[in-house]
Amino acid sequence: MQKKKITSKMLIPVFSASAAVLFISFGYVKYGFWHPTRGPLPGFFPVIIGSILLVMSVLGFITSLSEEGTDYPLENWYPAFGAVLVMLATLVIGMLPSLAIFVVLWLKWYEKYPWKTTLIVFAVIMGIVVGAFVFWLGVPFPKGIIYDLIFN
Amino acid sequence: MENFTMLLEGFTVVLTVQNVLVVLLGAVLGLIVGAMPGIGSLAGVALLLPLTYKFNPTTAIIMLGSLYYANMYGGAFSAILLNIPGDSPAVMTALDGYPMATKRNRPGQALFTSNMSSFIGGLIGMIILTFTGPALANLGLKFGPAEMTALLLVAMTSIGWLVGENPTKGVILTLVGILVASMGMDTLTGSPRFDFGNIYLLGGIPFTPFVIGTVGFSQVLKLMQDRNKKVEANLSQKLTIKGSMLTLHDIKRLLPPAIRSGFLGTFVGVLPGAGATTGSFMGYAMQKAFKSEEELGTGAIEGIAACESANNAAAAGSFAPLLALGIPGSGTGAVLLGGLMMWGLNPGPLLFSSQPEFCWGLIASLFLANLITLIIAVGIIPFMIRILTVPVKILVPCITVVCIVGSYSTSNSMYGVLVMFFSGLFGYVLDRNGYSTAPMLLAFVLAPLLESNMRKSFISSHGSLDIFFQKPIAAFLILVLFAIILTPVIKFALKKIRPAQKSS
Amino acid sequence: MKKIAIVLAFALLLAAPVFAAAQSEVAGSVGFVPSKNIDWYVTSSPGGGSDIFTRTLMDIMVTEKLVNDKNIVIQYKTDGAGEVGRLLVSNMKGGTQADHTLLTFNSGDLMPMAKNTNNRFENFQPIAHLAVDKHLIFINEVSPYKTFEDVIAALKAGANITLAGSKGDDIGCHAALAKELGVSVDQFAYVTHDASSAAITAILGNHYDLLISKPAAASQYVEAGKIKPILALSTSRFPGNLGSAPTLKELGYKNVEVPNWRSVVGPKNMSAEAVAYWSDVFKQVSAQDAWTKGYIEKQKLVPDFMGHAAFKAYGAQFQAEYLASIGKDK
Repeated sequence: MQKKKITSKMLIPVFSASAAVLFISFGYVKYGFWHPTRGPLPGFFPVIIGSILLVMSVLGFITSLSEEGTDYPLENWYPAFGAVLVMLATLVIGMLPSLAIFVVLWLKWYEKYPWKTTLIVFAVIMGIVVGAFVFWLGVPFPKGIIYDLIFN
Repeated sequence: MENFTMLLEGFTVVLTVQNVLVVLLGAVLGLIVGAMPGIGSLAGVALLLPLTYKFNPTTAIIMLGSLYYANMYGGAFSAILLNIPGDSPAVMTALDGYPMATKRNRPGQALFTSNMSSFIGGLIGMIILTFTGPALANLGLKFGPAEMTALLLVAMTSIGWLVGENPTKGVILTLVGILVASMGMDTLTGSPRFDFGNIYLLGGIPFTPFVIGTVGFSQVLKLMQDRNKKVEANLSQKLTIKGSMLTLHDIKRLLPPAIRSGFLGTFVGVLPGAGATTGSFMGYAMQKAFKSEEELGTGAIEGIAACESANNAAAAGSFAPLLALGIPGSGTGAVLLGGLMMWGLNPGPLLFSSQPEFCWGLIASLFLANLITLIIAVGIIPFMIRILTVPVKILVPCITVVCIVGSYSTSNSMYGVLVMFFSGLFGYVLDRNGYSTAPMLLAFVLAPLLESNMRKSFISSHGSLDIFFQKPIAAFLILVLFAIILTPVIKFALKKIRPAQKSS
Repeated sequence: MKKIAIVLAFALLLAAPVFAAAQSEVAGSVGFVPSKNIDWYVTSSPGGGSDIFTRTLMDIMVTEKLVNDKNIVIQYKTDGAGEVGRLLVSNMKGGTQADHTLLTFNSGDLMPMAKNTNNRFENFQPIAHLAVDKHLIFINEVSPYKTFEDVIAALKAGANITLAGSKGDDIGCHAALAKELGVSVDQFAYVTHDASSAAITAILGNHYDLLISKPAAASQYVEAGKIKPILALSTSRFPGNLGSAPTLKELGYKNVEVPNWRSVVGPKNMSAEAVAYWSDVFKQVSAQDAWTKGYIEKQKLVPDFMGHAAFKAYGAQFQAEYLASIGKDK
């Protein structure tokens, strides 16, 4: 028999099975299953759902063995990397500046758009964000360590 | 018919310059708030509330009511154009709205369908509200925990229809959705569950960032593959209202689901604990039981019509308990209630009799808001479609920004962003492996309701099952449940028996 | 030249925190007056009871010019069912920021905090205790029980009775009541709802036997005749249309009450001058008509001002009693 590569398709049922086991054990031991007069306790529902999930995960795993895996093009992950960098940068310089830099860098440096397009899109998207979220809703975006140090 | 006269009097209250302007303002704000992912009607209403203290109570609530209403329209926009629902009721709209806009290349029609259905659903809801308001509210009262448990069990069977071709995968995700939803504070015991010692998890996984991530951010990751494809340049004739108009045939297709869902949605809006989100889901699920010309989930008009009509109808329906009994059906309702108290009105069973101009003025304004929002929403369709002409390469960073900002603003903390991010990765991986995330999201919404109602039933019956059979409504629904579950089983068994009989 | 400029810029950037830190130390030691924007934390969603409480106070403080013309910014921190916000405030380091930080804090916040986390009342500076809300037990129009004596009789005869109510202090009342009557919580069961309105809905639909609620949520229904109060969980009867309900003492038992209180606290490391300042501000606010008529009366609360010292003792005792009642020590 050919040795099968471990694909993410197989890992998903494994993940859901482990989640099921986790919830079942916590549910039964920590939160309780049934009370004579109060009926279902906090653990009741999770234990039942978890048990069914465990069975289905096993089924799902078996089916996945005969299915082909899928590929993950590297470039699809780029927005995720971008998001991580934005989140890290937020801690230092604040969310709005990080997002602004992200948009400009993405359009200019990665997609290689000319400055004109980049700046127009930048103005539009930041306009929407600032207009709706900052001016209208007053959402207090994180300002980052540097701001706090300078102004506080 | 006395109600009708009262309603006409209500219109005289509304049709002043100030009030009409305020309806207009509320409608525009509601559309914007609705379209933005991460901000729902709750945030919009709560944040505008202080501004309304200057107005007299009638004007103030007219504006907020109109905003709440228009919000249901707006949520569909980003759902249809970007596959990112603007708020939770729009999750179902995206399922058919986005394919219709992109794969079937009929974005204008999709938006038009959504607007028309919203209008129809809202209209039905409000007509029912006008003529049967208090009676409807009283009907809602009869649905206690036992009845709700039975009803929700029936509703859960319809998730089965949504799991599509691969039931195993669908069921796995449904169950995962239920488990994720059970994390957090358990109201009935006042203790946290599955928080694993983390202070943030004490509050569980918040729904909005979870949806933004699973549907929206994962969409961004998927879009990366398409970014180099040539944009279909045939949109030039569609960039007019004329180009977005529905054909007569389209209208014939959308009317039955819209009307059906209008009635269903109104009823769901009245039920305790169920709001626009539950309404839109039930509407969509019900449509599965009827014939749709195109298959649901591939861009069918019927799909959009069913859920959009239901969510607007549910919004109207939720005004029934609010005005007739002073009971808020949802978070937004609770804010409106708080507003009522601050303006010096006393919400409760006596509101209709002690403040008739206020109540009927509000109801009349909702009719007006429905109409005005429809006109505005249709008018901006050509403008909205332009978003589709924007190259994907540009959309990717923009949507990423909106996802991050939207999920941050749900609780003003990075926790929302983290939830969004990880749900996005999760949703992307699932999608690549052929899992559909819709059942997970719906289970996330329905399961906690089901669980809490079930446990409450057992507490009040002190642990016995009798309660489900003693209360008439609950007993009836349980019978329906058995009918739904057993029918396919019996059919299957009969099939097996008949061939055996034939051969003997 | 360019390189030197960059190095200089970097150096300045790194040095900035040193200047900033030096500044804040100076500010904290003089007699306190707000010198910058005030951050007021609310650990529940906008539009709710705590939000209305906070905004009302804020409006009065600004109108009466009690905050040196600085702005008050309300920060909603709802993560972790509010625990994240409370932890944030309690851990704040001393200095200008701590002196300009307030937190709206109710008994309904203290109880889950003490139960589910390690945070305690001692981690905050009590500034002012402003209002108190007590509870009543109600029946609906079709209830077989007409007075609370009927309920007691039914319980003694072994009937199962279910009480519907909201979270937090409602639960505490139920537990204390059951204990005083000498019945188990299995026989006298409690169903928790997210808000009083949900419990009232349920009782109107006749799904439970009894309702426990605070006056504000229930009074309209009493006025409409849909529910009737049969017991006052307080040391004296309630005014107005709630006056027909007797207290437990009148029925031959000891009085039971677990009041819901609303207050404002600050971080533990808030300076003493700031605490005194804020306490005084709230004392002035509590005397304003805009507060007594515009909020207390409207919300049917009982005004009960306690300054820093009194509130500190009260809060500590409340917490101790609560912890004892759930079997937790410290």
